[in-house]
Amino acid sequence: MSAVRTEEADSGAPILEAQGLTVRFQGEDGAETLAVDGFSLTIRPGEFVGIMGEPGCGKSTAAIALMGLVRPPGRIAAGSVHFLGRELLTLADGELAAIRGRDIGLIVQNPRTSLHPMLSVGNQISRVYRAHNKVSKKEAWQHAIDMLRMVGMNDPERRVKAHAHELSSGMTQRVLIAMAMSSRPKLLIADEPTSGLDVTIQAQFLDQMWETANQTGSAVLLVTQDLGIIANYCDRVLIMEQGRIIEEAPVRQFFQAPEQDYSRRILATQRQVGGDTSGEAHHGELTDAETIIRVAGLYKQFPIRGSDQKVHAVDDVSFDIRHGEALGLVGESGSGKTTVGRCLVRLEEPTAGEILFHDAALGSIRRAAFVPYRKAIQIVFQDPFDSMNPRWTVEKVLTEPLDLHTDLTAEEKRARVVELLEMTGLDAALVSDQPRQLSAGQQQRVVIARAIATNPEFIVLDEPTSALSPETRVEIIQLLMQLSRRLGFAYLFISHDLTTVKVICHRVIVMYLGQIVEVGDKDAVFGEPRHPYSKALLASHLFPDISDRRVDRAERVTLEGEIPSPVSLPQGCYLYGRCPSQKAACAAMPQQLSAMPDGREIRCWRVTEGDFSATDQD
Amino acid sequence: MSIAEPDGRQDAPAPKARRFARMDRFGGNKFLVFGLFVVALSIFLAAFGATISPYDPIEATGDISVPPPPLVEWPNLFYLALSGQLEQPPHWFGTDQSGLDVFSRVISAPRADMSIALGGALISLFLGTFLGLIAGFYRNWATELMMRVSDVLQAFPVFITAMILVALAGRETGNLVLALVLVYTPIFIRLTRAEVMSQSARGYVQAAWAVGNGGFKIAVKHVLPNSLVPSLVQLSVTVGFAIILTAGLSFVGAGVRPPTPEWGIMISVGATQLILGEWWPSIFPGLAITITVFGYAVVGHAIEQKFREA
Repeated sequence: MSAVRTEEADSGAPILEAQGLTVRFQGEDGAETLAVDGFSLTIRPGEFVGIMGEPGCGKSTAAIALMGLVRPPGRIAAGSVHFLGRELLTLADGELAAIRGRDIGLIVQNPRTSLHPMLSVGNQISRVYRAHNKVSKKEAWQHAIDMLRMVGMNDPERRVKAHAHELSSGMTQRVLIAMAMSSRPKLLIADEPTSGLDVTIQAQFLDQMWETANQTGSAVLLVTQDLGIIANYCDRVLIMEQGRIIEEAPVRQFFQAPEQDYSRRILATQRQVGGDTSGEAHHGELTDAETIIRVAGLYKQFPIRGSDQKVHAVDDVSFDIRHGEALGLVGESGSGKTTVGRCLVRLEEPTAGEILFHDAALGSIRRAAFVPYRKAIQIVFQDPFDSMNPRWTVEKVLTEPLDLHTDLTAEEKRARVVELLEMTGLDAALVSDQPRQLSAGQQQRVVIARAIATNPEFIVLDEPTSALSPETRVEIIQLLMQLSRRLGFAYLFISHDLTTVKVICHRVIVMYLGQIVEVGDKDAVFGEPRHPYSKALLASHLFPDISDRRVDRAERVTLEGEIPSPVSLPQGCYLYGRCPSQKAACAAMPQQLSAMPDGREIRCWRVTEGDFSATDQD
Repeated sequence: MSIAEPDGRQDAPAPKARRFARMDRFGGNKFLVFGLFVVALSIFLAAFGATISPYDPIEATGDISVPPPPLVEWPNLFYLALSGQLEQPPHWFGTDQSGLDVFSRVISAPRADMSIALGGALISLFLGTFLGLIAGFYRNWATELMMRVSDVLQAFPVFITAMILVALAGRETGNLVLALVLVYTPIFIRLTRAEVMSQSARGYVQAAWAVGNGGFKIAVKHVLPNSLVPSLVQLSVTVGFAIILTAGLSFVGAGVRPPTPEWGIMISVGATQLILGEWWPSIFPGLAITITVFGYAVVGHAIEQKFREA
């Protein structure tokens, strides 16, 4: 935040200049494949450059090859990399190693496996520092503490002694930045550093990286698949396809006028989804639609083995779903949103509370008695491959619900399977394929086909798109919207992907630590979130919208720290300690979900009692 | 496949050196052919060994302690035997001190050895897989009790347990099979249970519940077929161990009764003569055991590879 930056590259000599970098891999049959083909890139001080592309397009390989590194069967076949005036690719190994870590930092994805499990984080950071600087162990240790403080770790004197398993994933990521930044490198290469992190943590992390880079005047090269990250943080973007750079443009120009078909396509798919529902008018029909699911006071606690304590996964959750409605359920991991969905389809036994389906009380009946209702209540899981029996064919997968819930003849079932495939946009020839022969998108279509096989009234969609690539994600979302319009089923869309929820849902529930903190119409909640948590969640989400870049905002709303343990719940407001607008009174005051005059429900006394508008304008 | 595949892993082919991959495939195949041949031969001899043997395996020939003919003479002897120019078939492996033809006994022994070992291993497989499925799928006090019982059975040394069981129940073939079943079933229970527990947490089992299957159906239709690999791999290893155990029990006098042709008995009978330089009565059955156990192990390894790829 301290440094003022313009979007265009700062003037000055380039830090790194790559020319025609080419990486080849030799396959088992001896044939060579070109992973990176003529990669050229110039990075100037203070730049934040993004590389984007489909999985397997060579973006990670290219980024790592800039440091002279390639995974074993591959080799750098041609090209040059000038770094601060030196040619890296012809340097001796020892000299190259000295530059890596000192002048070029690397942050890889999957922080957990990147830390040594048996060394304290301070030890690991100071080792990296000492490898490049002649300092004593004591100085290096002190430096490690300073670095941890710089990356926003609270209580660094204590954390420095921690081991990897004692840290949460967000903190582990910070340790990795601290390690990569310890020698103040001129260039930081980050390979999908936030994949698998929650949006709030992702925003904390990227903000931190952005600020650290600014403070130290270094440049960042970020490999990602996420348009949101590109739009919000990068100055310049490179699009790669099949090992080649097909487009390079300043970020604004890229979003306003992409040059290449591929770029236009990925941007268009994003907008297509956006445009598809904004004009959608089925809100009106819904107001008087019949309520089909009514959840009242749902609790779910998981006992912890060998302990009296419990995990409070779901804590007094109530909501309704109307016929044909698309209800979004959002929150960080650990918010209990998946457990709510699993209770609705009775994959978990609710600890307390009632679930009414029309007039039938489903929360309290025996599990076996629930079976007939499975025809009407279905679920789609996150990982499509995992949710099909790996030894079964598509036909068998799709016939199973028909066998269980219908009296169709074998002939009619076959016809129905073909019909289901056609409805989900799949080729009927796939019936004899096994799940592993299908692409991830096809797998998820089959799973959706299975869910709609018995014409259900209600489907729980548990993060159905989070395991898919951005393009496939858009296709699946369009399919779901089209099917729900055609078949008229209602659904609960559980997701941490706010872009998607914004597009397909009528109403949104925001959950935090097992509780609902805000409920309201999609437009209302997204347009003007009221609960501090909803505000922070929305502010942290990286919408691919360059007119409102996170780095350009005057105030970047964020949550401190991470979601508390659901084992020992806080006394007062669950958000106390993380909330940007907390008061002393919040610490001991349990919050109630209260209805507002405009139909929204909010769990924050400052909002519902109007305390906010009075005092928080400072 | 659980999370979107990071592209780094996709652009880099598996870092296994090509040369080794090829050697493994080549060598693997050669061994597998050998293994399959051994398995087929063992089963064939179990069925027909006694029928095709040149001498009656339990009737003395009168030639006492005849050494086997030198290897160089075998082709000629073979020709002569085939063309009917010999009065009596040659003693390929010599004869023991009672005048029994070693070759005839070695190829007749699989009837006892293989039926006990295969029978014991197969019954253990079925019983253990079934019990393991139940123990892994339904976790309650009854299945916990079952696991504790199988822990106790596994805690004793296999050989001692089997010996005590046979000593108590009598040296009948049925009792030997029973002893093997008691000793080996816990292994299959434990293997299957562990796999069932990990499979039950998989998404497709959750999906099977959500689709509306009953518990038993899910266990049998979904979980069981996906939990068999470890047991199938273990089966061939167990057959090998069971052969050794059967022969071992006979060797110490707790197995099949002499003069039934059986490898363990043959080794034990021949062992007394080893010191006199009569190596053949015990070396040949010993080799037979070694080759058979090795063959089954190779097949087991191949099954494992096959399923790992799938």
